[in-house]
Amino acid sequence: MLALAPDASSRRAAAGLAGPSSWSGAGTADGLVWGWCAGSGKDPYQAVADVAGPSYKCSCPSRKFPCKHVLALLLAWAHGTVPEQAGPSDYAQAWQASRAAAASRRAAGRRQAADGSAVGQDDAVAPRRAGQRARRVSAGLAELQTWLRDQVRAGLSGAAAGGYRHAEAIAARMVDAQAPGLASALRRLSAIPASGDGWPGRLLDEYAQLHLLARAHDRLGALPPGLDAVVRFRVGYTTSREDVLASPAVTDRWQVLAARDVLSGPVPARRVWLRGRDTGRFALLLSFAAGGNFGANPDAVLVPGTELHAEVHYYPGQPPVRAVTGARHGVAAGPRPGAARDAAALLGDWAAALAQDPWLTEWPALLAGTPAATGGRWYLVDSAGAALPLLGGESLWPLLAISGGHPVTVAGEWSPAGLTALTAWHGDRAVSLASVSPGLVSPDPMSPGAAVAP
Amino acid sequence: MTTVSYDDLVATATVGLSHRPLHVTGLTGAAGEHAGVLDSGDQAAALLDAAALMVAARRAGAQAAAGVPCPAPAAEDTTAELPARAADLVEQARLADPVLLASLLATAASLGYRAAVPLLPALLDAAVKDRALRHPVAAVLGARGRWLAGYRRDWQWVADAAVPGTAGHGAAADGAAADGAAADDSGVWETGRRSERRGYLATLRARDPAAGRELLAAGWSRETGDDRADLLDVLARGLSAADEEFLETALDDRKASVRAAARRLLARLPGSAFTRRAAERAAPLLRLEHRVRRPQLVVTRPDRADAAAARDGITARPPTAAIGPGTWLLIQMISAAPLDGWVTSLGLDPEQLVTLPVAGDLRVEVHAGWRLAAIDQASSPWAEALLAVPEPGDASRRPLDAWPRDFQLAAVLAPVARAARAAAILADAPESLDALAEISSCPGPWPDCLADAVIAALRRAVTVAARYRSPAGLSRWSDEYAVAAGRSLPATGPADHAAALRRLASIDNCPTYWSRALRRAADTVALRRAFLEEIR
Repeated sequence: MLALAPDASSRRAAAGLAGPSSWSGAGTADGLVWGWCAGSGKDPYQAVADVAGPSYKCSCPSRKFPCKHVLALLLAWAHGTVPEQAGPSDYAQAWQASRAAAASRRAAGRRQAADGSAVGQDDAVAPRRAGQRARRVSAGLAELQTWLRDQVRAGLSGAAAGGYRHAEAIAARMVDAQAPGLASALRRLSAIPASGDGWPGRLLDEYAQLHLLARAHDRLGALPPGLDAVVRFRVGYTTSREDVLASPAVTDRWQVLAARDVLSGPVPARRVWLRGRDTGRFALLLSFAAGGNFGANPDAVLVPGTELHAEVHYYPGQPPVRAVTGARHGVAAGPRPGAARDAAALLGDWAAALAQDPWLTEWPALLAGTPAATGGRWYLVDSAGAALPLLGGESLWPLLAISGGHPVTVAGEWSPAGLTALTAWHGDRAVSLASVSPGLVSPDPMSPGAAVAP
Repeated sequence: MTTVSYDDLVATATVGLSHRPLHVTGLTGAAGEHAGVLDSGDQAAALLDAAALMVAARRAGAQAAAGVPCPAPAAEDTTAELPARAADLVEQARLADPVLLASLLATAASLGYRAAVPLLPALLDAAVKDRALRHPVAAVLGARGRWLAGYRRDWQWVADAAVPGTAGHGAAADGAAADGAAADDSGVWETGRRSERRGYLATLRARDPAAGRELLAAGWSRETGDDRADLLDVLARGLSAADEEFLETALDDRKASVRAAARRLLARLPGSAFTRRAAERAAPLLRLEHRVRRPQLVVTRPDRADAAAARDGITARPPTAAIGPGTWLLIQMISAAPLDGWVTSLGLDPEQLVTLPVAGDLRVEVHAGWRLAAIDQASSPWAEALLAVPEPGDASRRPLDAWPRDFQLAAVLAPVARAARAAAILADAPESLDALAEISSCPGPWPDCLADAVIAALRRAVTVAARYRSPAGLSRWSDEYAVAAGRSLPATGPADHAAALRRLASIDNCPTYWSRALRRAADTVALRRAFLEEIR
């Protein structure tokens, strides 16, 4: 039972509260256990837990999940000191009912989503439409290949003469071909000829990546299934959130490592990076601020330094990174991640990830190192002396301040251009480097057991 | 068979295959193993295939650099870092009001705290932009902040203030204490940065004033002008007659800021040749004439400033064209002379002297000199006397740049007398700009008499504004009063001023401009209270 405890101090505190004298009105029935525990507040805290879950709720304001009261209650139940009752208390019943309602809402949402894809379409129409789109995409990609070859035949210097929008026509063509992923990639590379010295090399990089994607798409049926999903995603086939939520979940205590706003696209986007404390897996929650506001999306408001106890569902594709959160069991202040690695490990992970998705543009980094400047460039130097270039201008000053010349735990994004440090830990406090205001570790805790409507 | 590098591919693609055909069959580097998959039929496809392979190889083969030297770590901090919640409040203050920020930082420094480390860059930036924050920020940098400041010239300027010897900033002394380890190392004096050398000199001066002066004098001719000016200031601590000879030589320095620093120090040495010269220069300017009815002062205008006067800082050129050269000499010479000298030479008290009529309609000029002198010499008896008589002449005749306003003069008074004076003015003429100036400049936390007077005046103003819906009395300055109240009402103690301000904001028909300003003020008082509770 104590394995549930978030830390050693909770374990100690729970052991101290597990005696019957701490509890009033405690009971167990129907797999539930409940009771009132006198705390520092005026009213005793009401704790209730489902021993099968285990899931739980307590009225105390603790940010630890489970809190010491729930742990103590479960301990007492395990010791057999909680009396059997005829039925659950009102409080326990109400909690049980709200959980059931949330679960059925989720299930209904999923069903509806599944139905929704077929609404107004009889069984014959859906495959016909899918086939139609596949043909359009294939035709578009064939055109893209021809266009790319024409570019290297005629010379990239023509792109500079073509000006800022040299790829606009082919990008528009990709929109018609229902390959929006390609269209946005082409629009992004339009800016390269104006990006200063060395632009032909950078432009050829992008053309080569698009060429590789088109080549891979030609062999879509013959690719391994994981790579198949990657190619479809990069081309612009989308997977609905509902389908992702219907896939199996990974439940963990997810540490919120870093958040980054990407404002360059047509819609502001936010990337929130998570790392599971038990599984060690990374997850990327990507949200968009339609109407300029992230507030409506529960995945966008997660704050670095907190820990989210939740079910996470990964999008198809490899390596599994992009995800959405499903059922949530609570958000609490989290400790400093203990699993910071060195540069060699990060680069090894990055190479392995590229083998699975050669079009990856960034990869989560959780590193320990010392920021150091040499030759007008900043690096993060790990304990082995391996130095990764740091990107990010002004945000490096708070990183340097926190380090003071000593190794510091840093979370951020790695790309071949360098490491973008997004969060650094000052003792146990997570500091977001982009906007340094230290209030970032005190979010409003969500009520435990609160489910997020899919 | 053509084995190519990525640069070859870029060069060819830039010109175009149609101008420079290239049949790629082999590749350099890790991608070479996969050259077999290159398209054999189409040169353009083969080039793109090759580029794709090489881009993948380059991206996956990213290597860490080696041999990047780590910086020497910052010294261990001996003072406590502000706790998280207090640091949040500092950040709120930084975003809201620099004066509030300065007062929180000064409080933190006086209680032995240093700034939260993640906030150091923002605080240093704030101090670069706003000179008034330089000393408060410098006082809370700690060893970590001074280490960080070494990375940027503009930040270093802020950190340079973090040493004692800068008069009037007691908190800065903690900075030197934290640097104690470094300050014991005499190598710092030879090779250290200016702030470190100041720290070293200040520590030595505190221990042994004569040794400090001699160390400075020994290398004096080799220092740069800026270093001389900065280091000379350190002698302010432990200043004594023994320093006079050295300071006199500094009066002949090439650098104006060094001469000014030497004059400031010499003026603080009672009985120094410098103050004696000032007294001798001023003495013939004023004499007492006993007329039939009552005595009056008679002024002899100085005709010129000789070389000796110029050496002592008397300038011939007035700061503005509005002041004539003769008047300017008169004001300067009176203001430089020790005020006590007038009491001795004319045989009257300050209270009597300030009421005397002055022949030739020169009362304004004489009072301007005395006012400046009272401020420079921090003489509260003279300030009290000067404030007790109505300002002479009409406002247009007072020399704009050489006429300290009443509230500036009041700054010399004892804090309680100053607060009582401000409260009285507020009660007499709440709508006047003078009252606003006194209230805004009276430093917080205000004594109860002033706090109560301000709350009472606000209540009257808000009540009138709510009843007649017209901004009467001090309502014209609602924002200014609210800002001053937020900054300076006592945050701790029996009276809950935040609650009092909120009550005022919520009276019936309270105009929005008042309720908004008062709520903001209440929030500021509450923030200051929360800050004190966090760190006490």
